[in-house]
Amino acid sequence: MLKSLHVEGATLLHRLSVRTKLAVLFVASLAVFLTVDPFVLGGAVLLSALVFATVGVSFSEGLSRLAWPLVSIGLVAGATAFFETPVHGLVVLFRFATLILLAATVTASTEVGDFMEEITRLMMPFERLGLVNAADIGLALGLVLRFVPEISTRYESLREAHAARGLPVRPLKMLAPLIILTLKDADMIAMAIDARGLRRH
Amino acid sequence: MSTRDLVLTALFTAIIIVLGIIPPITLAFVPVPITAQSMGVMLAGCIIGAKRGALAYLLLILMVAVGLPVLSGGRGGLAVLAGPTGGYIAGWVVGTFVTGLVAERIVRETQGGARQIAGFFLASIIGGIGVVYLMGTIWLAINTGMGFVAALSANAVFLPGDILKAGIAALAARAVLVGYPLLPQRS
Amino acid sequence: MEIRFADCSIRYGETVALHPLDLALTERRIGVIGLNGSGKTTFARAINGLVKPSQGHVTVNGLDTVADGPAVLGTVGFIFQNPQNQLILPIVADDIALGLKSRGVGKAEVAARVEGILMRFGIEHLARRRVHALSGGETQLVAMASVLVTEPDILILDEPTNQLDLKNRKRVIDTLASLDEAAIVVSHDLSLIESFERVLLFHEGRLIADGIPGDVVKAYEAVALC
Repeated sequence: MLKSLHVEGATLLHRLSVRTKLAVLFVASLAVFLTVDPFVLGGAVLLSALVFATVGVSFSEGLSRLAWPLVSIGLVAGATAFFETPVHGLVVLFRFATLILLAATVTASTEVGDFMEEITRLMMPFERLGLVNAADIGLALGLVLRFVPEISTRYESLREAHAARGLPVRPLKMLAPLIILTLKDADMIAMAIDARGLRRH
Repeated sequence: MSTRDLVLTALFTAIIIVLGIIPPITLAFVPVPITAQSMGVMLAGCIIGAKRGALAYLLLILMVAVGLPVLSGGRGGLAVLAGPTGGYIAGWVVGTFVTGLVAERIVRETQGGARQIAGFFLASIIGGIGVVYLMGTIWLAINTGMGFVAALSANAVFLPGDILKAGIAALAARAVLVGYPLLPQRS
Repeated sequence: MEIRFADCSIRYGETVALHPLDLALTERRIGVIGLNGSGKTTFARAINGLVKPSQGHVTVNGLDTVADGPAVLGTVGFIFQNPQNQLILPIVADDIALGLKSRGVGKAEVAARVEGILMRFGIEHLARRRVHALSGGETQLVAMASVLVTEPDILILDEPTNQLDLKNRKRVIDTLASLDEAAIVVSHDLSLIESFERVLLFHEGRLIADGIPGDVVKAYEAVALC
């Protein structure tokens, strides 16, 4: 469950630091708005598609990853073409396609752990201002990953309990019991975190 | 932030992720299937309140950003955030906060059931639909040059389904309020 | 080790969970028994400061649970009744390491100590396993490891054999017997405490019997079955 979208590999992109990749993505997100030439932007799409192809995501896997964002930009580009001009629609399509391909490349070539470390580093200035606590973010993330399978199992047992009593299985009926049962554990989990001294500041 | 608040926030993020795994429900009179996850903004605001709810969504977006497939249909990664619909995702955080803020002010544990449900419904409409649409549309309009009104009208397809979701979320939030009240109350 | 309750009582609002209690504990194996709601869990939680006295004091090796809260938490480890709620990271070894990391222990030492505790419990094979996928007995052992890795002097276990099958129950009992640390065990499982040095019986928030297992269990049967 919750298998990361990272793809194993040792390509140049895998070896680049997270910070460099994020910086390139950020610069690209500004750069695509500097031009309205569909040929230049079309070239950018091709280039980023080539880059994405080098990280080792299989064609079918790449398609399924990009399907949803591509459909959404397709709709938006279509609407733009309809309300503005077809060239305008094409520009929107190419801009976002470039960004989505580059973003998917960063995701596929970066491990979750490295990403978290970089985020913790980026949080440091805010931590110094007393706005966030980087250790708390890590702890919260760990808690989510720990309890997703637990809650998922709980949903299954609620479903089975309904079926066993001959009640129709309506996912929405199980929403409230699922939430109550889960949040009721919060006190015990919080007590355990304090008892184990896991939040020393 | 107390340890309990931290845990409630993280558990709610986990609940939102699990809601994305539950198969979507198709209803006869709504064109698009309803995913339980898309009610998350309304549920988080109405159940754990403004601050913890918004933090739960920040945590969820952090997980999307680092490449975990936590959104319904196994979506995740920076590609989701980089698309033209990124404004809606930012809208989740603010929308949850506003939903919570409204709910905290108008729903009381001492009220009757109908009033509580009505309060949660109103909060969900304002935060879960109003704020999310507004932020999503502004982002969309800026990035496509489509014009605000045209972009706003693109939302109309989703409105009936979202109003229905607000109703379901209100019922669920009221059931949780009875079973295990967590919503902070302020005057 | 020395745990001392000095005129300590605990109230939750109007309810008195623990009536004023004076007590000194120095034994290495102490059992705590009583009916549900008798105050035994409150008593156990008062020892590591999870529950603060409404009146009086609790001290552990001279440290006050209120004034020296963090130091007491470092001295007394606590295993909860549902240990799955106590393991908060997805992977076993990461969870065990967390207690050390948050105490500022360096990376290399963390790795060595985690490995050491896993070996001590004979559960090295669980290191990279998902917490969610552990059996009840494994969860209990990992929870014990995650607490003992920070080297507390005293371990409190709340119903450690609850819901375990016979095989896992034996495993937990054997592990418990081999601990060098002092242990206080809250349990309904009377055979678990029969070899202990001292047993306390709580009833309606009061300590009503205190002595060797045989006598106290008889007193328990008298109040429970009357």
